Amino acid sequence: MGPFEWLENTSVALWVGESLWAYPFMLSLHGIGLAILVGVFVMLDLRLLGSFKEIRVDSFLPVLKLAWVGFVVHAISGAFLFTSQASYFITSTPFLLKIAMIFVGAILAAIIQSRLRNARDATSGEWMIDGSTKIVAALSLAMWMGAIVTGRLIAYL
Amino acid sequence: MESLAQSIEGGAIYTWVTSTYWLWPLMEIIHFIGLSLLLGALIVIDLRLMGYFRGINIRATHSLLPWVFVGFAMNLVTGVLFFFGDPFRYAGHTGFQIKMGLVVLAGLNALWYYWKLHPVINTWEPDGDTPPLAKTIAFISLLTWTGVLLLGRLIPYVSTG
Repeated sequence: MGPFEWLENTSVALWVGESLWAYPFMLSLHGIGLAILVGVFVMLDLRLLGSFKEIRVDSFLPVLKLAWVGFVVHAISGAFLFTSQASYFITSTPFLLKIAMIFVGAILAAIIQSRLRNARDATSGEWMIDGSTKIVAALSLAMWMGAIVTGRLIAYL
Repeated sequence: MESLAQSIEGGAIYTWVTSTYWLWPLMEIIHFIGLSLLLGALIVIDLRLMGYFRGINIRATHSLLPWVFVGFAMNLVTGVLFFFGDPFRYAGHTGFQIKMGLVVLAGLNALWYYWKLHPVINTWEPDGDTPPLAKTIAFISLLTWTGVLLLGRLIPYVSTG
């Protein structure tokens, strides 16, 4: 018995798979987490790429804390969902791509966040967005969209 | 609802959706991207209207609204196609009916925002607290859309009737 078959037979995995409400409950948390995580980071990406310039880019910084809360909710509920069909998910190409894209997306989000914190121009007080930050924002947007695409395809491929 | 479902079944759109095997996953993808845009923009707008994140200029929050409409349009089009592709399943589904009720409620709440808040928002302090009416409307907005998201997510897991 491999590690993923073992995981599927732990009491947690059986609870997620067999309890009447555990799976839908985890799926609900997973959906809310997705909306907060992807929704907020995508708004930041769109701002960095030039949309709704009336809103100062640094005013997004406090909202990003909320996005990370969404990330944690999404990841924990995702881990519970994973246990119930671990040996299936681990061989699913769309699933593995989705995990990779969320991982890269989170790293890019952290890079953008740290750049924003340090972006204030010392003399003018203006917030500078350079070309390379826009490229990171475009990549970040691509990762979140890709994670949704591959996530939806798990059930089909 | 049943007669509506009856008239859809056998029609051109029904035939197209049910016979095009890649269309359903594509619609799901668009529906999820739409929900992320809709909720992402609304989270920022509504939490600011509730008085949080005061660094965000309250008078500029309306500039996020186009993304709410883009997200809603994506979900309306794909949602109608879902309904056309499986009319009997949705028409008789209590979860779906409540979800549509909440969408209507959210729409009325948006009209309330447009009627009562939109005309006066430019008189508010850019980084100040917000009136109770703004907090109420924003809270209803977040509550109804969260409900829409949850019911939508659970439709495949709750049997019809």
